[in-house]
Amino acid sequence: MSIQSFFPSKRDELSVLSPIISVRNLWKSFPGVVALKNVSLDIFPGEIHAILGENGAGKSTLLKILYGIYVPDKGELFFEGKKVVLTSPQDAVKNGLVLVSQVPQLVDSLTIAENLSLSLRQFSYVSSVKKVSKFLLEKGREYGVRIDPDIEAWKLSYTQKQLVEILRALLLNARVIAFDEATTLLPHAEKERLYEFMKLFKSKGGTILLVTHKIPEAMEVSDRITILRRGEVVGTVKTGETTIDQVRYMMFGERLTQLNSGEYERLYKKDSEVLVVKDLWVRSDYGVYAVRGVSFSVRRGEIFGIAGVAGNGQLELIQALAGLRRVEKGSIYLRYNGNEINITNKGSMLIRRLGIGYIPDEPVKKGVSLDNTIEENIAVHPKLSKFLINWRGIKNLASNLVKEFNIVTPSTSTRAKVLSGGNLMKVLVARELTVSKLALVAYNPTRGLDEVSTRYVRKLIVNKAANEGMCAVIASEDLDEIIEISDVIAVMNSGSIVGIFKSGANREEIERVMVS
Amino acid sequence: MRLIVVKRVKTSNMYYIGIPILSILVGLAISILIFASIGVPPDLFVGGIISGFQSPQTLRYFALLVMLGVALTLSFRASIWNVGAEGQMIWGMLAGGYIALFVAAQSMYVSPSELPNYASMPGVEIIDASPYAPVISVLLMDPSLGKLLMILFGMLAGGLWALIPAVLKAYLDVDEVATTLILNYVAYQLFNHLVSYNLRGLSVQAKQFFRTDRINSALFFNLIPGTSVTIQEVVMAAIFFVGVILMYKYTTIGLRLKIIGSNPQLLRSVGVDERRYILLAMFLSGMLAGAAGVSIFANLGVGKLEKIANVVSPPTMNLGYTAILVSWLSMLDTRLIPIYAYVVASLFQGSSILQSEINLLFPELSLTGAALTYIPIGSILIVYVVLRVLTDYSIRIRR
Repeated sequence: MSIQSFFPSKRDELSVLSPIISVRNLWKSFPGVVALKNVSLDIFPGEIHAILGENGAGKSTLLKILYGIYVPDKGELFFEGKKVVLTSPQDAVKNGLVLVSQVPQLVDSLTIAENLSLSLRQFSYVSSVKKVSKFLLEKGREYGVRIDPDIEAWKLSYTQKQLVEILRALLLNARVIAFDEATTLLPHAEKERLYEFMKLFKSKGGTILLVTHKIPEAMEVSDRITILRRGEVVGTVKTGETTIDQVRYMMFGERLTQLNSGEYERLYKKDSEVLVVKDLWVRSDYGVYAVRGVSFSVRRGEIFGIAGVAGNGQLELIQALAGLRRVEKGSIYLRYNGNEINITNKGSMLIRRLGIGYIPDEPVKKGVSLDNTIEENIAVHPKLSKFLINWRGIKNLASNLVKEFNIVTPSTSTRAKVLSGGNLMKVLVARELTVSKLALVAYNPTRGLDEVSTRYVRKLIVNKAANEGMCAVIASEDLDEIIEISDVIAVMNSGSIVGIFKSGANREEIERVMVS
Repeated sequence: MRLIVVKRVKTSNMYYIGIPILSILVGLAISILIFASIGVPPDLFVGGIISGFQSPQTLRYFALLVMLGVALTLSFRASIWNVGAEGQMIWGMLAGGYIALFVAAQSMYVSPSELPNYASMPGVEIIDASPYAPVISVLLMDPSLGKLLMILFGMLAGGLWALIPAVLKAYLDVDEVATTLILNYVAYQLFNHLVSYNLRGLSVQAKQFFRTDRINSALFFNLIPGTSVTIQEVVMAAIFFVGVILMYKYTTIGLRLKIIGSNPQLLRSVGVDERRYILLAMFLSGMLAGAAGVSIFANLGVGKLEKIANVVSPPTMNLGYTAILVSWLSMLDTRLIPIYAYVVASLFQGSSILQSEINLLFPELSLTGAALTYIPIGSILIVYVVLRVLTDYSIRIRR
């Protein structure tokens, strides 16, 4: 630690205020990867400050250091000019920073008020359920967030849970609220509401830290944007004085060219049906029918997109197709090489061996194992290894995939936990596309990926369909994604397919069917 | 200044080797203090432990602990905490005993007057030469085949017993630590019942005490001269050790057994039913423990099943618990098991030598039972559990 670092050298000349959070010369490395290289940054009170970067740029690492989850190897943190050492989220909260995470952490069987009083106990501000209830109603009114404090957490939608997290931050007297990709999964209208909240919070003197990999999101609401690339700060720009192109260039550098890849080619002649679903009925975890009599068929080389507001049976349908959820009624057939196989309730192992790839919901949690190497994460697939594992073949495959998908990793024998979220997702997608000889079944296949990776994954899916005749059933909460890649778009609502659209259909028309 | 605990991203290699060794040294130091506090001079303690490293009896514990260490590591690596090796060994003994006493050979009464005729008959052995009701044991098959059957059925029984907690865990989500532990005591009780009634012998001794007959001596495993370890034990330990390493390295079963310990959801999402692998991990683990049970039973020093008078000293010699230490000190790395099996075997043997010396030299201490034997083992275990934190976390000072 040099003496110099106690005297922050670089100040934003434009600001007369002193920063609420200062980061000085931060370094953090993980084995084989330097996640942060000499990062310095100032966040001023009363601004919405976006931290933008692609997967693996170091955004999450930076945020985790600010929130006391990681301890930096080198460098200092200042909160309101005072040097701090954060060793737990409690430390961060005491300094006025609260994180709203992408995955809301609530106990399902407790009410909102009970949940919040639990998480507040350690701070002893207010902790009785009654007081929390009252406070929730007050703050809710102030910020225009209507939520019943006595409802159990499991009854809430994703958006509502997110709102609870925000109320929690207010309850903790947050002066800085950090959003970790928190808006990524929200529908458009909900996103707008969240932006309004951010502006309101700002107008009351609060500060927002918005961590995201989506450029439009950063542009839409922030005052300033700091761009990270490969662990380094590329620069901080004022949102009003910059352009999307400039930000893009800062974010991706020379890789930018990969974005401008133009239209997808759709060469494959879509002839015979491969996947045929007849009158499918599937129950949800709560025992009610989530899929109610769905029928459709997908032809060779065709991408069948399923749009819909989250929770309308798409997840259960996808899981049933992957053999992971019992089909109560109806059937699923697979046709290839002149055979027809009934795969209804035949077990997921058979379905995988036949050549159906699967990208699960919560992919990083369910689709990769962090304690195992990349090679092991690939070798585990029953289509790729029978009884004996051909390690040489797996190694070759793994290094090809690493090259092809531009996966940032020291080597293929590195444990997956060293990789960033986006790179983990790439490992998963790479493996599943490799095994998808007949079909790919996917739920939110690009969730959590940055723009370049998203484009890349979509292109790979479309290309594989176009060139090799793979068919795909893809459900996504991102309507743009469905519109972009699908040949046929089915809209699910309350467990049934309520509309079928050809590619190029009117977006408003699809949205109308989604919510009607 | 503050002390902060930071989670390591990668387990440090130095700690990987250093922590087990440090645990052993600190554990022994603590044991010296404990023994000193009851009046045992440190040099006697050190002498006893050192003699353990040289004792020929140590080889026997070594072979058994390799088998059991591999058995437990199989389940531990899958994050299934099988502390039921004791019960699985008991079932190995029972099944092996049943084969030895009723299938491969059979004991029967003969008339006292005819007894001399049997003395030289091939395949017949006089078990009890009592003048009123003499008992002979008649071989019913080739003894090599008999021994093989003993091992196979012992393994099968151990594996099946282990399936009970496995099924409970896989399909009903019942915690296996509790069930495997409880089932050990259930196994002890069933063992007592079976040897007191169903398997009880014909000989006078068997009638006087609750026990089976001694097995036909042709069915004893073959001792390696000059030691108390048998060829079968050594061969099995070697096969299990090499076999499991190869399985982990080259087969999908091994890989899946590893992955089930880190992320069972991955198995499910690639189409593998992870519950079957919970069953498999426990079945294999129980089979290997069953083999260790048979080995103990078929050793010349034992050869019979006797009612357990006190659950503190079962015929398994508590090796099923001691092997937990072997597995942990090896950091669940199968390749390191022989090293720590040897260390723990020596400590185990050294402690029992120490125990008998203390009883001899200090009769006024009147320490009986196996109590002292477990002081070093237990101390090491405790130190290990504390130090183990350092492999996953580092402690730093920040100003």
